[in-house]
Amino acid sequence: MRTLKAVSARTAAKANPETHAEAAATRARFEDEALQHLDALYRTALRMTRNPSDAEDLVQDALVRAYRFYDRFEPGTNFRAWLFKILTNTYINSYRRKQGRPQESSLEDTEDFFLYNQLSSDGGERVTDVEDTVLDQLGADAIQRAIDQLPPQFRTTVQLSDVEGLSYAEIAEATGVAKGTVMSRLFRGRRQLQRALWDQAQSAGFTGGSKVHQNGEVRDGDHL
Amino acid sequence: MDRELSDEDIAHVRGHLNACGGCLHIFQFEESLRRLVKVRCQEQSAPESLRAKITLSLATEQLRIQQTRSRQRPTA
Repeated sequence: MRTLKAVSARTAAKANPETHAEAAATRARFEDEALQHLDALYRTALRMTRNPSDAEDLVQDALVRAYRFYDRFEPGTNFRAWLFKILTNTYINSYRRKQGRPQESSLEDTEDFFLYNQLSSDGGERVTDVEDTVLDQLGADAIQRAIDQLPPQFRTTVQLSDVEGLSYAEIAEATGVAKGTVMSRLFRGRRQLQRALWDQAQSAGFTGGSKVHQNGEVRDGDHL
Repeated sequence: MDRELSDEDIAHVRGHLNACGGCLHIFQFEESLRRLVKVRCQEQSAPESLRAKITLSLATEQLRIQQTRSRQRPTA
């Protein structure tokens, strides 16, 4: 039995242009390249699913699919954008349905430069760095919660651009929309993000209300 | 700010920012906000266990692909 199997495996290997060693080398190359983007893929998956365990499954599924179609990837084109495209498609095909209808965003559309206007005093004092404001107190968790408040398409676009640093063209490729759509999603998404960040700062008690301008850290008693 | 403008447009924007204090302040503020979001969010990385899981599932997938292909080959 064992001999038969070994013989048929050898025959198959001979007939197959890719030997076991070659297949292993291809896999190693794929793994090497793909895992360089693991953190970015995981963070993006987390924004899509808003759930760590689903995010892990999603990244894993997407990378197995990407590996399966690796021979269709055109060398010289953008591997990172290609991976994100597969991540987006896997999410749409397998996860979005499971998660049901996306939750409606409660964010109102906001004016331009919302945070700048909130943080600059009426008297003319202008703030030029968020590090000098209460927003500097927002940790990664709070900022991620703010991004999670955005409607799904805006959320992914803002994440890919403003956290992962993809270009408009890469995001267009990854999300399957025109570059103009990417730009308008970014524009509106960022505007809503400013409002969401402000809400986070308020719910954490960093701001007393609107029009608060503080220099540096909030010390106990500052608000008394 | 997104590094998507042409050189000509960049020169135009820069010229305006240098001349207009109000816009310069807003630009600097927006840029610092963009930096804050990026730096804080990039602190998060994928769990180490995920890396191992992926390595394992890719190895499994490689074998599965090879088996499927060898089954599909007509025997000589």
